[in-house]
Amino acid sequence: MSPRGGRKAGSGPVWVVLAVVLALALALAASRWSGTPTVAQRAAALDAVLKCPSCDGISVADSSASTAAAVRQVVLIRVREGQSDQQIEQYLVGRYGPSILLRPPTTGITAVVWVVPLVAAAGGLGGLALFFWRRRRPPTTVVTPEDRALVDQAMAENGPVAAPVAAGPGP
Amino acid sequence: MNATLGHTGVLLGLVASIVGAAVIATGLVRKRPATVRAGQVYAALILLGAVVATVAMQRALITHDFSIAFVAENNSRSTPLLYTITGMWSALSGSILLWGLVLSGYITAMVWRFRRQAGDPLVGWATLVTYAVSAFFFALMAGPADPFQTVSGHVPANGLGPNVLLQDNPLVAFHPPLLYLGLVGFTVPFAFAIASLVTGRIGEGWQVATRRWTLLAWGFLTVGVLLGAWWSYQVLGWGGFWGWDPVENASVLPWLCATAYLHSVMVQERRGLLRVWNLSLVISTFSLTILGTFLTRSGVITSVHAFSDSDIGGLLLGFFGVVVVTGVGLIAWRGDRLRSPGGIDSPLSREGAFLLNNLLFVLLAVIVLLGTVFPLLYEALEHQQVTVGAPYFDALTLPIGLTLLVLMAIGPALPWRKATTGTLADRLLVPAGVGVLVAVVSVIAGVRGLGAVLAFCLGGFAAASNVRQLVLAARGAHRHGIGAWRGLVGRANGGMVVHIGVVVIAVALAAATSLGHRGEVTLRPGTTTMIEGQQITFQKLTTVSSPVRTATEALVLVNGHGPYRPAVSQYGANTEPVGTPAIDSNVWHDVYLTVDSLPASSGGPVGIGVTVQPLVSWLWVGGGILVLGSLLAAVPGRRRRPTDPVSAPLPALADGNGRGRRRHDRVGPAVGPAVGPPPEPPPVPVAVDGAPEGSADERVPAGSS
Amino acid sequence: MSTGPAPDAAPAVGPRRGRHTARWTAVASLVVMAALIALLATRPPAAATEVYTPLLGQQAPPVTATTLSGGRFHLAAYRGRWVVLNFFASWCPPCQDEEPDLVTFAYQHRAPGDAALIGVVYDDTTAAARAFERSSGATWPTVIDPGGQIALRYGVRGPPETFLISPSGTVVAHLDSAVTAADLDQQIAAARAAGL
Repeated sequence: MSPRGGRKAGSGPVWVVLAVVLALALALAASRWSGTPTVAQRAAALDAVLKCPSCDGISVADSSASTAAAVRQVVLIRVREGQSDQQIEQYLVGRYGPSILLRPPTTGITAVVWVVPLVAAAGGLGGLALFFWRRRRPPTTVVTPEDRALVDQAMAENGPVAAPVAAGPGP
Repeated sequence: MNATLGHTGVLLGLVASIVGAAVIATGLVRKRPATVRAGQVYAALILLGAVVATVAMQRALITHDFSIAFVAENNSRSTPLLYTITGMWSALSGSILLWGLVLSGYITAMVWRFRRQAGDPLVGWATLVTYAVSAFFFALMAGPADPFQTVSGHVPANGLGPNVLLQDNPLVAFHPPLLYLGLVGFTVPFAFAIASLVTGRIGEGWQVATRRWTLLAWGFLTVGVLLGAWWSYQVLGWGGFWGWDPVENASVLPWLCATAYLHSVMVQERRGLLRVWNLSLVISTFSLTILGTFLTRSGVITSVHAFSDSDIGGLLLGFFGVVVVTGVGLIAWRGDRLRSPGGIDSPLSREGAFLLNNLLFVLLAVIVLLGTVFPLLYEALEHQQVTVGAPYFDALTLPIGLTLLVLMAIGPALPWRKATTGTLADRLLVPAGVGVLVAVVSVIAGVRGLGAVLAFCLGGFAAASNVRQLVLAARGAHRHGIGAWRGLVGRANGGMVVHIGVVVIAVALAAATSLGHRGEVTLRPGTTTMIEGQQITFQKLTTVSSPVRTATEALVLVNGHGPYRPAVSQYGANTEPVGTPAIDSNVWHDVYLTVDSLPASSGGPVGIGVTVQPLVSWLWVGGGILVLGSLLAAVPGRRRRPTDPVSAPLPALADGNGRGRRRHDRVGPAVGPAVGPPPEPPPVPVAVDGAPEGSADERVPAGSS
Repeated sequence: MSTGPAPDAAPAVGPRRGRHTARWTAVASLVVMAALIALLATRPPAAATEVYTPLLGQQAPPVTATTLSGGRFHLAAYRGRWVVLNFFASWCPPCQDEEPDLVTFAYQHRAPGDAALIGVVYDDTTAAARAFERSSGATWPTVIDPGGQIALRYGVRGPPETFLISPSGTVVAHLDSAVTAADLDQQIAAARAAGL
């Protein structure tokens, strides 16, 4: 692609241009996306997070069971009446219990299921950073006289071996 | 007669497993290689037992032998032949029989593959572990999950037939066996991992030897999961191609760990690092297959996929405990002493990319496991139910998926050991340009939603980067006179193709989930309407009935072609009517039709649901590319042992048929000069800037990694 | 491989600094796995009879509907009596199983008149439901539920589900599998004893 070694003075500005164009495109996409949702959109969004009561884990939007159709109907009516998402969800939770919601609430004990992945991610990244930081220094394996004695003994027992044994990464 | 034959087969498998394990154990303890080698023959006996039992079961099914309880419950005289044969794995005890059959096949293949090193304690320990696993599953079949249990009382004249949803689609003949070929296949790498830990011989390339097995099992599992998704998509009730159903999650957990392993094992081959980590991944993969088996069969989780609960839940959980304690315990005991002493020079290197890849895949596995198990935890504590459904998993896996797309783009362009940003910038300029172009085009085309555009952009970036690698490899192979096609096969190049397949799937997922729209129309017979950009014509309603299904079908034309037949179907007399969809599929989108409401009186209006989802067929195309890539990756490279350093020269082109390197991953007692750890490659020409652009790739064109 | 000194006798490079990363990670994983196994081992298979509903202790949602025979039905008219509200479908095997028991229960309480049995058709055609009731000899009022709205109001996930409503109109019990006459009497007795 490009000759190695010498830094191409040309590629830097190209990257800047690319970054700017991308930022513009993403901003455009995001802005076009957020507007006031219509009744149909609100109902569809709610349908996607409500579980079909008689199915196993499918949303009301995806199921054609009679219970799902009933829930969709109620959601549509209440969205038309102007109730908020929360009110509609609360009404259904009041009928079916908290398991009607496909997204576990972020308050209470169910917050665990949201917090643990974040903690795990942070911990993993931190551990990785630590790993790199520790390993950045070249391996300071000092060869002690005991090591030499062991090698001498092994070589005496087994005869000369082509490759070194002690230090260095093995397969 | 069938029952006797079946019981004989099962008992043969059980006894052979136990005796084989005992023989090998004796040989290992007494340090007698001859005894250890003698333990090999029992693999053939286990296979024989499994085959006999399977033949007996199939014979019973095909001849409708209702004296066997399993046949009476899962087969009937009117069941077509295909579904009679697949009935073997349509219910619990038969599925254990399939597991045993596949396991015995893998054990035999493993013993055959390593027959020349059979006296080696490491191979002996590995065989012992596989015999132990086999003994467990055959013991299940001999006792609690007996497939050949006879009916008590008089023999019924006709059976109940298989579960209705398993009689409707020929994919039932492919999805479960492929899934088992994948899940069970992880037993062999696990056995070698345990053997490595027990003997302490962790670094001789045993991991390399079993990498092919892991790739094979991973490939089967991938195909199995993809076929399951396709099947789900066609059959309503399971809601789309992926529903984060607990059983689906259980099958993907081992897949995540295995994918992480397939990447990090390359770091071990090249640099000798991450040995204990790789062992942990292999042990986790196998443990998760057992956990998945438990979840599916214990009744702890309700799911359409789940088999009926039974007593074997407790036994499977106990086995899971044994596996975990053994594996993790061995690592606790030995792991620290076996860690490799080397280091990673720089985070900005291919090793660094692989490490980040592993972190992300393990994080995905943690999220999926947590989400699957949390409802049980909640119910134990609060005595109420909570659902962890698709919105949760989608929200958390989306950022990780996008990051993985970026990694897929950057990783192949990163050299080993160390890279400078300059090198990376030069290599990735064109792919980045492609990505930005895709973003701009999609915004212009009217795509709304930050997530979708970002997914397309990063997908373009990753695809372009991987294509670039393939082009370079092909060019390098051509320049070396060994044929440009060599640039497409081998582990690294196959891996690039697999990545391209993943990108296609990711793009399809992004498009289908965020750009789909749904509408409902109510139509009288013979009328047409436009909805969601499609012209829908409802012709009329018909009723169809077959032995298994009674349905009211709506004949619908989409944009003039059809007719498609979405229906409300009832399978059997005593089940809830379910909607069965019809799908009009083309390259750009799928039109998914459902019958939402039937008229109160004949001739009345019918409610039809119309969902238009873009790029769904790209999911299956991407899956095909993925499978093609794994096949390409399995083609052995002609170059050298994977443990050789990057700068090692290619074997002379005139060394015969060029296939001589097929044995490059043979391990075991060295027969010549010691095959010790290779000397460190001379650092001067390659260290600082990473491999010179193109040259390292070109020097090892086939299967370069 | 070579028959030299056993690998674990060779000078190890890792633990020289005294770190046992692998060991501690392994121990931590074992603890987590043990907790997971304990949790999974103590979970009963997912099939319970009396289940929680958010309606417990609340006023029963009103039911105003048409019966199979065409008359109007109001739940409020049944204040002062125990009401057993049974959601069923003709295609549902447990519903078929419990039908004889329901017939018995209705017969036993017809004379004292203290408890009434009401059926609600769940996702079934009127014709099938009518045939089902007729063939089992059911004599109690059964309402149809167009659009499944009554089922939604009661949070019904699938037949059979039975609600016990006190004379004051409060939901006191919810059973989601096939019931027997004895079950129902037991529930009424328990609720009476609790002063509901």
